[in-house]
Formats: sequence, C-alpha cells, structure tokens
Amino acid sequence: MGTSRNVERRTILKAAGASAATLGLAATTGCGGDSGSGDGTVTLRYAWWGGEPRTIAIKKTIALFEKKYPKVKIKPEFTDYEAFWEKFQTQASGGNPPDVFQNAVGFLRKYDKRGVLMDLKTQADAGNLSLENFRNGVLANGQVDGKQIGIPVGANTMALVIDLKAFKKAGVEAKMGWTWDEYFDTLQTIQDKAKIAGDTGYFSIMYLYDLYLRQNGKAFFTDADLGFTEDDLTQWWEDGYKRVRSGLVADPKKVEQVKPKSALSAGLAAGEFTWDNFSIRYEGEGESDYGLAPIPTTDGKNTGQYLGSLMLSAFSGTKHPKEVAQFIDFMVHDPEVGKIMGYDRGILATTEQYEAFTPTDDNNKGVKAYEEEVAAAGVLGKITPHPSGADVIEAAFLRLGGEVAQGKTKPADAAKALFSEAKAAFAG
Amino acid sequence: MTLVKEAPARPAGKRSAAPAAGRRGRRRENLAGYLFMSPWIAGFLLLTAGPMIASLYYAFTSYNLFTPPKWVGLDNFTTMFQDPRWQKSVEVTLKYVVVATPLKLLLALGVALLLAQSRRGQGLYRAAFYMPSLIGASVSVGFVWRALFSDDAIVDRTQKIFGLDVGGWIGNPDYVIHALVALSIWQFGAPMVIFLAGLKQVPRELYEAAEVDGAGPLRRFWNITLPMISPVLFFNVLLESIHAFQVFGSAYVVSDTRCGPADATLVYTCYLYQKGFKEAQMGFASAMAWTLVVAVALVTAVLFWSQKKWVHYEEAAK
Repeated sequence: MGTSRNVERRTILKAAGASAATLGLAATTGCGGDSGSGDGTVTLRYAWWGGEPRTIAIKKTIALFEKKYPKVKIKPEFTDYEAFWEKFQTQASGGNPPDVFQNAVGFLRKYDKRGVLMDLKTQADAGNLSLENFRNGVLANGQVDGKQIGIPVGANTMALVIDLKAFKKAGVEAKMGWTWDEYFDTLQTIQDKAKIAGDTGYFSIMYLYDLYLRQNGKAFFTDADLGFTEDDLTQWWEDGYKRVRSGLVADPKKVEQVKPKSALSAGLAAGEFTWDNFSIRYEGEGESDYGLAPIPTTDGKNTGQYLGSLMLSAFSGTKHPKEVAQFIDFMVHDPEVGKIMGYDRGILATTEQYEAFTPTDDNNKGVKAYEEEVAAAGVLGKITPHPSGADVIEAAFLRLGGEVAQGKTKPADAAKALFSEAKAAFAG
Repeated sequence: MTLVKEAPARPAGKRSAAPAAGRRGRRRENLAGYLFMSPWIAGFLLLTAGPMIASLYYAFTSYNLFTPPKWVGLDNFTTMFQDPRWQKSVEVTLKYVVVATPLKLLLALGVALLLAQSRRGQGLYRAAFYMPSLIGASVSVGFVWRALFSDDAIVDRTQKIFGLDVGGWIGNPDYVIHALVALSIWQFGAPMVIFLAGLKQVPRELYEAAEVDGAGPLRRFWNITLPMISPVLFFNVLLESIHAFQVFGSAYVVSDTRCGPADATLVYTCYLYQKGFKEAQMGFASAMAWTLVVAVALVTAVLFWSQKKWVHYEEAAK
C-alpha cells in the first residue's frame, strides 16, 4: 500500500464526507418546507381534479384571492379524477393531505370516518366562513352527522346528453317526463334511421341506476348498505345486455377503444347519461352539436333527480384553519370567482355568485336552462346517503357492467360479485 | 497475513509500528468501504428490506392505511384464494408468462443466430434490434401500442385485408392479451445480446469437426449449438419468466389504467395495485405480494432442479 494511494484515499474520504454533509444540508432544507414563514406569510396547499379549462379558471381565482389576502400563498395541485383520489388517499394516510381540496358526495363519509375532514361549522361560528346564501338547500350536501365537512361550490344533476344532429336525423325528440319504454323506442328509431346506437352504455352508470331506483321508491344506498336486491340488479343488467346485442347500446369493444374520449363525442352513440356540468367536454371533443335532455321516468313524471355537488373540504389537521376557512369563504361567495368559474363545477352554489354570472355561451346557457326546467317540473328530490365505500362500489359497478356488456360475465354472476365487493367496501 | 502473525514476536522498536498501522489501516479501509456503501445500505434497509418485512406482517392483518393494522391470521389468504378476480389475475398472468416468454426467447435466439455471423454493418443491426428493449418499457410506447392495435388502426386494417375482422384488439377481451404479448416479444433485445455472447463462446473447431463428419446445419445446431449455449438459455429462461410474472406497466397503460376490458389484462400486479392503492386493502395486497414471491421462488426452484436434465456445463462433461 503506497503512500500516494493513502493520500488518494484520504482525499476521497474527505470528498465523500463533504458530499454527505451537503446532502444532509440539502435534506434539511428540503424538509424545511414549513407552511409558515418569518413574515407571517402562510402557504396553503389546494388540490382539485378536472380538465384543462377548470385548471385555468381556478388558477385565475387563486390569483384573485392572493391579491386580497397578501399574507396567504396558495400552492395548487391538480390531476385527473382517478389519480387525484389515489394520491389523496396516500397523502391523507401519511397525515399530509392538502389543506383545502375539491371533494364529492361519495367520499365524505369515507374520509370523515378516517378523521381527515375538518368540521367547518366551528370556523363558521368563529366568523371566518359564511354558511349563508346557499341556493336550493345544497349546503346540506356537505353535511354528515350534523357536521359541515364540505362546502358546495356548485350544484349539478344527472342528465342525458344527446347528439342533436343524430336526433334530428332520426326525427325524434326527448320530452320531459318520457318513460323508459319511450326512451328505448326512441333508441330503436335512431338505430333504424340514423344508423347508430342510441346510448353509450347506461346500465353501468351507478348514478343513473340510483335515479331508476329512486323512481321506484328505492335508492342505490341506504345509510350503511345497498338499497336494492341482487335480483333487481340482475334484471337491470339482463335488460342492458339485451340492448347491447340488439345494437341499441353501443358496442362495448368500440367504446373501450376510444377512451379516454367519450363514446358520444366519438360518434359511437347518440346519447350518454352523465352529470349536466360535464356536457362542456362533448363540445370540445366531438364534431356534432350536443344538448341536454330529460331523464326517462317510470311513471311519466318522477325522474328521481336531486341536486348533487362538488365541494371544498379542509384537512382536519391543517396548521392554518382560519386561513383555510377564509379561502373557502372567498371561493364560494366572491362574485368575481363566480364569473370566472361559470358552471364548470355545476350551477354556482351561492346567490352572490349565481347572480354575478350570466351565461353567454350555449353550453352554460344550456346547463342553466336544463336545471331551470328540472326545477320547474318539481321533480328534484332529496339526496340519499352515500356510505363510506361508495367510491369503490361505483368503480366496481362500472367494471362489472362492462363485463356484462362484453358478454364475459352473466348478469346474475355480476350482481352477485357486486354485492360481495360492496360488503368488503363498506367494511374497509 | 503472515506479517501480522509474526509481529508480536518481534522486539518492540521502530519496525513494529508498521504492522499495527497496517491493521489500523485495514480497519480504516473497511470503514471507508462501508461508508461508500452506506447510501446503498441505507436505501436497501429503508426502502427494500424494511417495507418487505412490514408487508409480511401486513399480509396477516386487515389494514386500510388509516386505522392501525388488525391481526386476522390467514384470513387474507383464504379470501384471496376464493376471490374470483384473484383467480382471474392468476389465469391472465400465467397465460402471459407461458406464451410471451418462450416466444420472446425463440425470437431472441433466432435473431442472435443471424447476427452471430460476421457481416458488414453488424454493429448497426445489433443496435437496431436492441433498440426496442431500451424504449419498450416506457409509458409512451404503451400509448403507441394502444393506438396501433385499436379499431381501424394499422393492425386492424392489415388484418381486414386477410378477412380477419375483430374490430381492434384493445377493446376485445379475447384479443387484448395478445397485444401485450406482442409488446413483450418486441423487446427481445436483452436476451438476444446474452444469446449472442453465448454463441460467440462456442468453439469453432466443434463445428469444423462436425462438418467433416458430414453433419448438416440443423444437426449442428441441435447437437452443438444448443447444448453449448444451454447455460445461457437457462439463464434467459429464468430471468425472462421472473420478469414476465411481474408485468405491470404495459398492461396498465395499454388498457387505459383499468386492466380491462372485462379484466382481460388484469395481470397479477395490476390487481395487487388496485387492491392496495384504489381500495386501500393493504393487508390483502401484501398477502398477494408474498404469494407472488413464493410462486416465483417455486418456479425458480423447479427451473434449477430441471437444469440437471438439460443444461450442459462443460466442466461436468470433462
């Protein structure tokens, strides 16, 4: 072992030590991302899911908020729906969810049960957040067991989005109060005259089946269970599969291949059931003109509809509950925010924002007209509970409905599987 | 070593300092070695060994990430073996392993045989054939694959010329797995390079002797090449099947993250992922992971056991 190599080694050791020290330093600074800093500035993390237009609009509203509250900085985090909830679950289990985030009815009980959501009533009592001026009682959508764990930003309802050109070509019309029989007759006419399927796959959509059940005095969920029987669902899926085979409903193989595009905008079918505020996507994706049509009924009147909501929720463990409450207050009440957001997350939930925004484009006008029509028809009922696990069951419903459509699983077996998966989801 | 042993016998003096320093030096050297290894050791303990041990424990618990894990004994395993989706995922994975691995190795060997012959521009050919392996695992190739095998895309149109209309492979539960197999086969570069190295090791004189004895090319391949490269073949079979058992990315991307349609691409790891990260059943997911570890270990053991019968090591022959 020569001295030169010894020296070399010593140098290397020193270098290693130095780099280790730097790494250590870097690590410390990296962890030093505390949300408060010396001058009293507070940083809040705000997360949502949604498309590009929503992200652009929300970023504008954030800038507005930061101007009004210069001591609060907002760090945005956004992704698509499925990735959002995967990420959120991981963050929340590690005690590190965003301070404020977009939420939906199906997730309230799940994360309330896990202690993640703040009861915003205390902040309202402290005067940091107003619970006044919510339209049509939608504030109740964010309440669970007497706690206000979500503040609605909008109100939406299920609708049938139709390809107007295809409906015109077939010479058919969608009328308020039409029955399921009339709906399927219409699909038949569309198939005969416009030569395309009429529906993209109604029977895999949990929220539509919910409406059907509500029309028949039931609901998808009860407080802690499913509100229908295996036989009910078997029948629903058997009818659905029959309509796939007869071509009234689009070929599931084709529907699968145009994803993430919708089968309606891809021209595979003339109609799709979805939330009315989603209708904006079709204009962007597809080449036809699209409009909103009424939900078919069982008795010629009751559509089973109710107003749902996207909401803002807060993390129970946030270090800055006051600022979080102020932020939510600003986002749901400020008229300027309403003007920027429009009906992207549903019809604006508070009167301040609702009155500030006058829709000028066809899409927003259509959403407004649709909800007015539904409200005028007097069919809006109260929202039924969504127990913890509703999100997992919705995904299972979609998947199993798809298996039925592909002819890979018998409706009875799929219904059985849904009940067994639901049991596990409720227990989780 | 001898120096160290003799050292105590020597009278104390100037020279005795050297061995002691040597010992100290060696210790210092070890220390330096460990210091250099420390990032790796820390990474291994914190990111691999620790989580593995934790997941072994979780496999016997019910754990939703939020409430503390609750010991449930073998419940996860019994539920798992009866779960139709788990059975489906095993079926899909086995189908994939059994079809994709041999086909990929066949192609790799075939191309390696062609490339083993010296010709102009062989470096270029080798690079070109290896290329897919470099990019094949990327997400973007998954998207390209989805596009290639969709309705009315190039594969579909080509098929239609021959009167085979399946309306695109991606949406068809009976065909989509073949698109994944094709993607796997296309990435034959790594085993090909290993085969090439093996082929280069086969002594020329064996072929010359065989030729003198009148053996044709097939016979030479069967009686010389194959036995001589059997250790390499064994290595490739082992590596590629272990690899195939763990397929995830291609299934996830090609199926637009749902591992469908109708669970047709629900490979084992994809179901594991859904259980763990979508449904937050970490106990179940851990049980699945350890079952996979045991299954792969068993397959490896069987392969090692079988090599006595078909792998030819030259030392043994002597």
